[in-house]
Amino acid sequence: MQILTYIGRRLIFVGPQLVGILLVTFLLLKLIPGDPAVMMLGPFATDDGLARLRTELGLDRSIVEQFGIYLWRVLHWDLGTSWQTTMPVTSDLAQRFPATLELVTLSLLLALAIGMPLGVVGARNRNGIVRKFADIYGLAAGALPDFWFGLVLIFILYTILGVVPAPLGRLDFTIIPPPDVTGSLLIDSVISGNWPALRNAAGHLLLPVLTLGLINAAPILKMTLSTMERMLEADFSRYAEMCGLPPKVVARKALRNSLPSVITIVSVLYGFLIGGAVLVEIVFSWGGAGQYAVQGVLNADLNPVLGFVLYSAILSLVIYLIVDLIYFAIDPRTR
Amino acid sequence: MAETMENPKAGLPDAADMLLECKGVSVSFPRYGAPVSEALRDVSLDIRRGEVLGLVGESGSGKTMLSRAIMGLVPPPGEVTAGTIRFEGKDLGKLDEEQLRRMRGRDIAMIISNPRGELDPLQTVGQQIGNVLRHHLNLTRRQIRERALDLLKQVSIPDPQRRMDAYPHELSGGMAQRVVIAIALACSPRFIISDDATSGLDVTVQAQVLELIRSLVSERGTSMMFITRDIGITAHYCDRIAIIYAGEIVEVAGREVFFDDPQHPYTVLLLAAFAQNERLRRYWLGGDKVQEYTGPSPVGCPFQNRCVRVEERCRGEHPALLERQPGHFVRCHFPVERP
Repeated sequence: MQILTYIGRRLIFVGPQLVGILLVTFLLLKLIPGDPAVMMLGPFATDDGLARLRTELGLDRSIVEQFGIYLWRVLHWDLGTSWQTTMPVTSDLAQRFPATLELVTLSLLLALAIGMPLGVVGARNRNGIVRKFADIYGLAAGALPDFWFGLVLIFILYTILGVVPAPLGRLDFTIIPPPDVTGSLLIDSVISGNWPALRNAAGHLLLPVLTLGLINAAPILKMTLSTMERMLEADFSRYAEMCGLPPKVVARKALRNSLPSVITIVSVLYGFLIGGAVLVEIVFSWGGAGQYAVQGVLNADLNPVLGFVLYSAILSLVIYLIVDLIYFAIDPRTR
Repeated sequence: MAETMENPKAGLPDAADMLLECKGVSVSFPRYGAPVSEALRDVSLDIRRGEVLGLVGESGSGKTMLSRAIMGLVPPPGEVTAGTIRFEGKDLGKLDEEQLRRMRGRDIAMIISNPRGELDPLQTVGQQIGNVLRHHLNLTRRQIRERALDLLKQVSIPDPQRRMDAYPHELSGGMAQRVVIAIALACSPRFIISDDATSGLDVTVQAQVLELIRSLVSERGTSMMFITRDIGITAHYCDRIAIIYAGEIVEVAGREVFFDDPQHPYTVLLLAAFAQNERLRRYWLGGDKVQEYTGPSPVGCPFQNRCVRVEERCRGEHPALLERQPGHFVRCHFPVERP
């Protein structure tokens, strides 16, 4: 019951939050020099044509009016059209957002699978070899740029060894993509029983997921290590030792108490990677949402950028809500 | 206790009667660029079966370190550098970590202070009692639950059924203290160390909890080491009292003798702090002159800098713990005589 009230209270603020985010983004984008009309019509456009296009796009109105019109359309789930793709932003994003989500989700799962165990073992045995490895790993992965690491992986695994498909998009051109249900190629190919597509999509996912996963395991590792260390020294761990509980049980208690911090860092990474994975997306020609937004910014294509920001904001809010629900589940003190 | 009937040599240690024997136990911590710091020096203490020994000292005197040495849990980099600790004749120093772990909580249990901070915040009371039961005794789930409930009843927790599913943050300080006592009693240990168990509680609750500990311990004939900073409490709850100062035992005596004829100046100081007699108090606490507390002295008697009776000999010669009367040990060159 308490949880429902809490969710309800959170949802009330979602609307104002989104409008605020859109407003700030809108104003920032207007600050960037660049006239969409000039970009669209090219160098040989006539003044007359430019003026007509500006009126058509509503660019001759005041900023307040422009924002008002935009908001009104957003309310009807019309995010405008991208002049680069000449497609509605909603349908563009419907294609690209899942691509990014699939990539980021799998990468973070991998990062968790690497970072958490290393952190736990490293915290339990401070002089062990795992700890030394974890320290070096954390340092190295924190220092390497992800796109460079992606290029190295491509060079080794594709160029030299040739064990992965070409780093061009999510699927080979020769493969028939599965019908679009969830947007995730893996899930969609399983649903439609399209095994060649599943294998091919997995092959394409391998390198970018490896890249992002290995790099982003570092912050998860560091957070797990330091929190776990603190929890193992906490009073309740010492007391559990005094009660003669086996070291494994003590460690499990400490881990459970460390989970909230780990979940927090994962949620932050998740929100960050939606846009932050863009360099890796470019390296692998992923065609994801980040790439789409960056193209929009570079070409004064306003609608894709605003659409991307809106989607990301909604996603972040959903993630934070889920995180709060997980806190509820783990920690009785928050109930 | 019952020893006067069964043991003709009452007051004298008898090997078969001994539950815990500490002999010359020293614990030290290595320090960079400085001599090792000794948390315990040559501590010898015996506890008989069924006996409640009070261990009194100020913070930093080594009370807790002694309890941790007995449990085999001296925090690194500290270590037991000398002496033996025997429990029921077994040398604990010779046991491996796994054997020691099995003894903790089962044979030697601990009642700690500030239990709300020491209980796992994410587990219910029932789970935490159950943990100890499950890992030390071979019980089924149902037996564990029944036993845990029974333990909560024994420590007089109101509405035990409901408290089983309560989390530590939902308990009051006194209630959490009772839970910790229940955990200590869970495996019917033969020895309980109560480390400043009631220091965080209101005075009225403190009295209740102390009474509870005493009745539960004497009911079962469990031995106990009762660590406290409050010398007044020991008068009610302990058979024998030991005073520890700067990691050394400075006086040990049976309760009657202890309060009737205290001989170490530090003991007298502790007792005088409670005294009604203003003149007595001022004399032993050093009068009006504001003392600059320099900590225990490394050479000679550790207590010399705070002692109102200090003499030249105390500056240079470290006093030994001598048996002045049978069962009454004092570490002082010039013990206080009764007027």
